[in-house]
Order: sequence, then structure tokens, then C-alpha cells
Amino acid sequence: MSDGGPSAIESAAAAPIVSFQNVSLTFDTGVEALRDVSLNIGPGEFISILGPSGCGKSTMLRIAAGLIDYTDGRLLVDRSHIAFTFQDATLLPWRTVRANVELLLELRGVPKAERERIAREKIALVGLAGFEDQYPKHLSGGMRMRASLARALALEPTLFMFDEPFGALDEITRERLNDEVQMLQLRQKFAAMFVTHSVAEAVFMSSRVIVMSARPGRIVGVYDIPLSFPRDDAVRFSPAFAELCGTLSAALREASGERA
Amino acid sequence: MSQMEFYPPRPPRERPNPARRWAARLLPPLLLGLILAAFYAYGRAGLEEYRRFLMPDPGSIWDGAFASAAVRAELLRAAGVTAQIALTGLAISIPGGMLLGILMFRSFWIERAVSPYLVILQSIPVLAIIPLLQSLLGFGFLPKVLIVALFTFFAIPTTLLLGLKSLDKGIHELFRLEGASWHTTLLKAGIPSALPSLFAGIRISASLAVIGAIVSELFFVSGDGGLGQMLVNSKIDFLYEQMYAALIVSAAMSIGVYLFFGWLGEKLFSHWHDSAGGQR
Repeated sequence: MSDGGPSAIESAAAAPIVSFQNVSLTFDTGVEALRDVSLNIGPGEFISILGPSGCGKSTMLRIAAGLIDYTDGRLLVDRSHIAFTFQDATLLPWRTVRANVELLLELRGVPKAERERIAREKIALVGLAGFEDQYPKHLSGGMRMRASLARALALEPTLFMFDEPFGALDEITRERLNDEVQMLQLRQKFAAMFVTHSVAEAVFMSSRVIVMSARPGRIVGVYDIPLSFPRDDAVRFSPAFAELCGTLSAALREASGERA
Repeated sequence: MSQMEFYPPRPPRERPNPARRWAARLLPPLLLGLILAAFYAYGRAGLEEYRRFLMPDPGSIWDGAFASAAVRAELLRAAGVTAQIALTGLAISIPGGMLLGILMFRSFWIERAVSPYLVILQSIPVLAIIPLLQSLLGFGFLPKVLIVALFTFFAIPTTLLLGLKSLDKGIHELFRLEGASWHTTLLKAGIPSALPSLFAGIRISASLAVIGAIVSELFFVSGDGGLGQMLVNSKIDFLYEQMYAALIVSAAMSIGVYLFFGWLGEKLFSHWHDSAGGQR
């Protein structure tokens, strides 16, 4: 296990999928949201971002995806293959599961037959086969999140952004979705940036965990998670897992400072 | 040791049985009956003999109006004329209001410029500008339609704008991530999401349209008259039974329109929208 000291600059072995080079964001009020964030994410890497509220975790994702502009540094990324999942499922409530999964393809002008084929495949992949014609109102929170995942997967992303996607779900549902996202990632080989508040979730999902600190938001630690993939339920109860969680909790407490 | 107290169990509350629910459903018509009875009694006892024609009892309203085929035909024709005025007015105010709502959503400046006048339009009594409309436009169909349009306009842009503004932020970002244009976002996200809100506005406007049409006719007694004109004429002709009949049909139209749109909204939106009356 690497002790992952506070070396902010990381290098990925292969050509990175996304590269933050001293990226900073300062608002016109003078408030620094991000300072000198440098991070390379390679193909197939799963990176979790932990940090106190207001440390700019979500801002990093939004900058990479192009929802927010940064004010200094360099960002290299291919935005044509980014998928983004939000805190809520953000399904269009007036569309069925199928029509929701087809939405982004529709916006990209993919022909109808092709859309239907892809939607069927992705809906089956997230375990929602049989629910294609249901409206979101009639689905559970977990099922809505699955539909949201299927919608994102329909883009065949090489980079998958998760902005605290399972925070609102109960523990059991969250763990099952963690298992499934991991399975999907191993199968579809996308790289992922995963923002979360849960240390256990970060350790379970990730190949690397970034710890950030607030005011200004910056990377204060990078930790490799050397547990082998695929990880099953038993991993959650292994001593190595507990030890990693302990290390990260300590790092997170330190990053949160007195305010924790 | 702390003082313990005994809190006795309580049997689950009984659900109202079907008989009680039926009784509850009968209450509104029962109340109506009571009010009618009170009117009837007042008409008999409270008015001098020679003024009793002002308060015909329900029986003579039936005999003097609804029982007569000629009056029924006249009521139907008048209702048709009123409906035509109301619908034409709505055909102006709904598309016009929607267009304005969208423009206000599109541009902060338009919203800023227009909103005070919308409020003013809503606050000035439309009745007060009717004489002006008469002078400008005469006594034909057009001024009546304009009055209906004025009556029903306000609810349309305001409810549409409210609906458009309350589009989920995540959905908006989703469209931005795909680089969707403003009008694609409007068509595929904004409008569908605002429809239940807009529909509530249309529902209000539609029942106001009936009222507006009748009011407009009170001021323009000319040409082929609707229910409003029938109200005025039957009063002039001392046919009070027919006046009450026209009043009842007017109220029924307005309520009917409101109920119809409620039912339609339920049909259109309940599968995805809660306020439309769905469970869960």
C-alpha cells in the first residue's frame, strides 16, 4: 500500500483521458474555488474524490465536463465521450424509462432504430428489463438511478462522471449499485471520476482516491487502493479494506480541519 | 428512579364506512336544497304580493322556462353564442399568452419590461374599459371577444413562465452537456415540464372566459345574443323565470368548463405529475 503522501501531481502510465494541469478557478468576487489542481486520469482508471463540503469536488467534475469555466491552468479532455450522472437521477418525468435512456442519443441525432437497439441493450445491462414502459414516478429511487446509469451508458463513455450519485439512497441499495457500477466499469472499460462523501464507497470503488481540502479547494492527498478487481462483498470486511478506510478517514479529517 | 406513567394503547381509528361517505357526498346538494328552500320561503313571505314575480320558486322556473321546448331551444342557442365568444377569446389569449410567456423566459429584459403591465392588466377592472372599447370598436363580435381575451390573458403567461422557470436544474445541465440549443431545450424539456402548470392556468382562464363572455354581452345588447343578452332581455320583458334559467345555464357552463379541464388534466398528466391528481 502506498502511503500516498500529499504529492499533488500524478502521472498516469498511458495517455490520459483527462488531464488537469494546475487548474484554478477564482470567482470575480476573489473567492478561490480551486487552486492548482493537477491530476491525470488514465483509461479505465476509477478515481474517487473525497473532501469536506465546499472543497470543489463537484466543481472539478463540472469543469472537466464543460459546465463551468476555469480561470487558470490547462485542461485537456475529449468531451465527446463524457457521461455525467447527477445527485438525483434527473430523469424526465414525462418520459418512460425507454424514452429517457434514448434522450441523449436523440439529442445527438442517432436514428430511431439504432436508439432503440442501444436503449434495449443498456436497460438490460442495468437490470431494468421489463420496466421499459414505466414512468419514473412509479420506480424506486434505486431503479431511477439505474435508469440514469443506462442513459449515461448509452453514450458509450470513455469518461464517466459521478457527482455523489448514490448519496440519497439507503445503504443496501447503495452497496448493490456500487457492485454494479464496478461490474459495468470492468466490462465497459470507462475511466471514472466519482465524487462521494463515503470513505467506504470510495475505497470499494476506486483504483485511486483523491483527498481535497476546502478554501481554497485543492488536492491534499492521493492514495492508491491496491485491492484487486473485481471486488466482492467479502472485500468490505477484509482487514486491508478496514485499514485503507482508516487511513483515508484520518486524511479526510485532517483535510476538513477544525470544522469537522 | 424516574416517574413512569402509563400511556394506554389506543385502538386504530375506524375508517368511515361507505354509508357515511355517501352521506358526505350528499351534503353539497343538500346544502343547495336548503339554500333554494330559503330563497323560496323568502320569495313567499318576504316580498309583497305584487313583487313576488322577482323571486319565482324553482317549480315556476321549471314550468316557465325549462319545461318549454321553445325556451330550451333559445337557451341552447344563447349558450352556443356565448361559447363561441368565449372560445374565440381563448383562441387569442392562450396562444398569445404562451408566446409572451416564452419571450419573457427567453429574455430577462422582456420579462422586466412586461411584468408590471401584466399585473396592471390584472388589476384594472376590465369592466371599466368596456365603454372605451365600445367607442373604439363598436358593438359587434370583436369587442366582446377582446373583453374575453383581456379577462383570460393574465393566467397564461404567468403560469407558463412559472413552469418554465421551475425546470429541474439537473435536467437543464444534462441538455447543456449535450450542447443542445436553446429551442431544443425548450421543446424537449422546458415546455413538457411546464405543461401541468400552464394547464392549471388554462383551466382558470377557460372558466373565466365564460364569465367574460356573459359580462361582455351585458354591455353589448345587439345582434345575435348569448346568455348575457338573454339575462338582460328577459328582465326587460318581465320573464324572470327565463332570466333565472339563463343564470343557471351560465353557472353550469362555467363549472362544466372547469370540471372538464380538471378531468382532462388528470388524463394528460397524472401518469407522471403528482399535482395532476395521481397518487404516490
